[in-house]
Amino acid sequence: MRAACGRVDGAGPATYTLGMETTTAPTGRGPVPVLRFLGLVLLGAAIGGVAALAAAGFVRAVLALNALLLISPRSRIMVADPVLLTLATVAVPTLGGLVVGLLHRRLPEGRPHTPADVIAAVQTRRGRLPAREGGVSALTALLSLGAGASVGQYGPLVHLGATLGSLGARLLRLGRSEDNITIACGVAAAISTAFNAPLAGIVFAHEVVLRHYALRAFAPTAAAALVGHVIATQVLAQGALFHVADTAVPRAWEFALFLGIGGLGALLAGAYMHAILAMGRLAGRLPLRPEWRPALAGALLGLTALWVPDILGIGQEALRFATIAGAFGGGELLLVLVLKVAATALCLGLGFSGGVFSPALVIGTLFGALCATLLASLTGGATETFVFYAVCGMVAVTAPVIGAPLTSLLIVFELTGNYALTTAALASVTLASPLAAQLFGRSLFDIQLHRRGLDLSAGRGRALLMERRAADLLSDDCVTLAPESPLQAAIAALARGHHGEAHLVDAAGRYHGCVTLAELEALHQAGGSHTAADGVDAGRPTLSPATTMWEAMTRLQEVSGEALAVVDDDRFLGVVYEARIARAYLEQSDTLRREEQGHG
Amino acid sequence: MARRGLLLALLLATSLAAQAEPLRVLSWGGAYERAQREALFSPFTVQTGIPVEVHRYDGDLGELRRSAARGEAPWDVIDMTRSQAMAACEAGLLAPLPADLAAPAPDGTPPREDFLPGAIGRCALTHTLFATVVAYRPEAFPGRRPTRIGDLFDQARFPGPRALQRTPAVNLEWALLAHDVPHQELYRLLSTPRGLDLALARLDSLAAIHWWQEGETPVRLLAAGEVVMASGYNGRFFDAMVNRGLDIEILWDGQVQEHETWAIPRHARRPEAARAFIRFATTTERLVVLAERIPYGPARRSAAARVGRHPERGVDMRLHIPTHPLNAEGAIEKDERWYARTLPRMQALFDAWRQRRQERDAATP
Repeated sequence: MRAACGRVDGAGPATYTLGMETTTAPTGRGPVPVLRFLGLVLLGAAIGGVAALAAAGFVRAVLALNALLLISPRSRIMVADPVLLTLATVAVPTLGGLVVGLLHRRLPEGRPHTPADVIAAVQTRRGRLPAREGGVSALTALLSLGAGASVGQYGPLVHLGATLGSLGARLLRLGRSEDNITIACGVAAAISTAFNAPLAGIVFAHEVVLRHYALRAFAPTAAAALVGHVIATQVLAQGALFHVADTAVPRAWEFALFLGIGGLGALLAGAYMHAILAMGRLAGRLPLRPEWRPALAGALLGLTALWVPDILGIGQEALRFATIAGAFGGGELLLVLVLKVAATALCLGLGFSGGVFSPALVIGTLFGALCATLLASLTGGATETFVFYAVCGMVAVTAPVIGAPLTSLLIVFELTGNYALTTAALASVTLASPLAAQLFGRSLFDIQLHRRGLDLSAGRGRALLMERRAADLLSDDCVTLAPESPLQAAIAALARGHHGEAHLVDAAGRYHGCVTLAELEALHQAGGSHTAADGVDAGRPTLSPATTMWEAMTRLQEVSGEALAVVDDDRFLGVVYEARIARAYLEQSDTLRREEQGHG
Repeated sequence: MARRGLLLALLLATSLAAQAEPLRVLSWGGAYERAQREALFSPFTVQTGIPVEVHRYDGDLGELRRSAARGEAPWDVIDMTRSQAMAACEAGLLAPLPADLAAPAPDGTPPREDFLPGAIGRCALTHTLFATVVAYRPEAFPGRRPTRIGDLFDQARFPGPRALQRTPAVNLEWALLAHDVPHQELYRLLSTPRGLDLALARLDSLAAIHWWQEGETPVRLLAAGEVVMASGYNGRFFDAMVNRGLDIEILWDGQVQEHETWAIPRHARRPEAARAFIRFATTTERLVVLAERIPYGPARRSAAARVGRHPERGVDMRLHIPTHPLNAEGAIEKDERWYARTLPRMQALFDAWRQRRQERDAATP
């Protein structure tokens, strides 16, 4: 018979005092908080600078690799020898895939990290993005993009920026809240640099990564995006993603069509996301070791590209042509669209490293162009507003995929400066984003995280509860009894320990259930020779160390007791008190409140 | 520093003058040659005593290639576009130029800072930038005037025959620009079969095209009223407008800028005199004198800043040179690296298209 040991993680009145203190603490006025805040803004700007330079370097390196490896159309046309071109088209993605596959073996999970990992780190306040995984993922993304894989470049840029931001917070030994903010700074700067769109960068960091709005986070993020913008204009000096001359303003009834494109675009976005996920599942069943899979994808991509070269690489040329009426025939649009979806699913599913945004831009624009072409053939109408349809399609597909309707709109606005175009895109996104969220999920990242066991659909509070495990709240302040203890002795032990419950653990450390003082007393009153084991409450659930706090809270709803036992493989580890869970919940709510509503 | 350079040049010149053999310069003829004679050739002969013998060509380098195969060169200095110079340099037809060939600016600025980016090449030194532009007869379009290069292809609003150069260059660029493609992406898109198809289709949409090869032809066609819009070199159009009073106007949007360079062929008979000439002809002073006679943008910043009025006409020449900010807004720089590698294939594609067009026109009466 063992009795209670000292209070390791006591649940008592002290808890409440702590909670009260934090809730009534003044919300930072005075010189010190102001200085701290200004320091954070300066840090944001510094991280913005580093992330922007990294992003600019990344973009340039991809362009250089594309030119060197005969992926970019410009480099391809420079080669007069068709045999060399054919060989390069097949060999470059294949060998690129081989290198990427071998590099991915060095990652613990065997897969590259993506913006989904950034979102998970921020939403669960875990922060601390690993530098090694970040570095390897950026390198393999660079190689994937350089070798012409049909993947996006913005995802890797976002992850790279976030990793640099998190690294900055760690170097300065800052807390989790600051870590989250510096991650957002890196993300904002990366987007701001890559698109040369600072507002989109700020909104993306809030809409996709932070998912709340606090002035405390806004100012450093804005500073980072601004620095990124300045660096983009100085260093990258790249042309706009698309260019729109003063076009005819669409007629009123066309807005109904833009809305319709939004609805259909949401379905296409769903098909695109599910194609990527399905290819990932299929890849797991392939009789091919993971490190060889990207090479297979590269070979298939290269062979297809001999027929339809538009699917190679980021696809900026295909994107541009899709905004020009007459550049593609109707059948060609459909063919390239389907092949681009397939190629992207193949590349990402089989383990190339890269994003989903750039291919979605191409797919969406092709889809919009297809709608416009169909319409023109039906009505025999003009092509003056062709570009409106293309852009609507683009936004309708990209916004649901990355879960960022506002960012998509701002990208259109900042890149074109065209208000009419932005309102048309607004019509599409109004329907596309909510519809896709209802049917598929908030974004591809959310769907991926959900499949990895992190459900963000009910918000950050629940995600945090899902993130904390019973093992974190474990206490050994409890009464344990041997199952064969006589009733009398058991009741005495409980009384000595000032507890109403005891946990039955045998000499081998195996757990046999929980008994309450009331139950033991009742058995004792009933008479007869009983042991403690006879009073076990069969309905009492147990927790495993890996049980999330969210689950523990749901189970506690059915229990009227003071604590639940934590059992791992029949072995008793300790208990989690209901009061401890409540306290952890209050602490978490308080931290979130300060992080999301605080402004200093 | 500059004085010593001049002294050296003079010494060199007198020693070279002893040989009475002329320096054979290959250039483009017409108003351009007249301006070069006044600004460069005559002053060079005056200064050095070396007579200059001018040969004319239309940009065809076949003769250079053939003579190089025989181990000789019919000229000592060639005025050639940078794209041709790059191709010829790669083919080993040109002699590399010494790094210190160009003279510093009058204020001592070293050539590398004074010349525009990309002007100093391995085998060729850019002296001016000229532009291929569209000129039109304003009387042909009463009440409206073309403002964008897309208007070249808009025969509904600007009816009438066009004259275009019989090369893929410039035409392909304009045809794609007419689709509102941004300048930065022009050559990337032209690098795809889709982009080329799109450009040729746009060219094909023109109802009547007169093809020209000689730089004076578009001026003549416009003057004779045979066409209402024509592409051509901005210097030729200027000459026709200012010196001959022809009623035409220039559409600067979409102007394609090219570098015009001096180069020395391998096996040149007088390479030293040729180098002395290039150094002389690319001094700030000579470039200013040239730009005041024919409106080509000097390749030196120091020269562009000094350009004044036409010596006889009194026209402010800064408004007529392609690099002036007012004119340069819609300018594109010809991607000579692209053409250096693709020209034969582009030419074949272009010729095949023209062939199809001709056959089709012949088939439909």
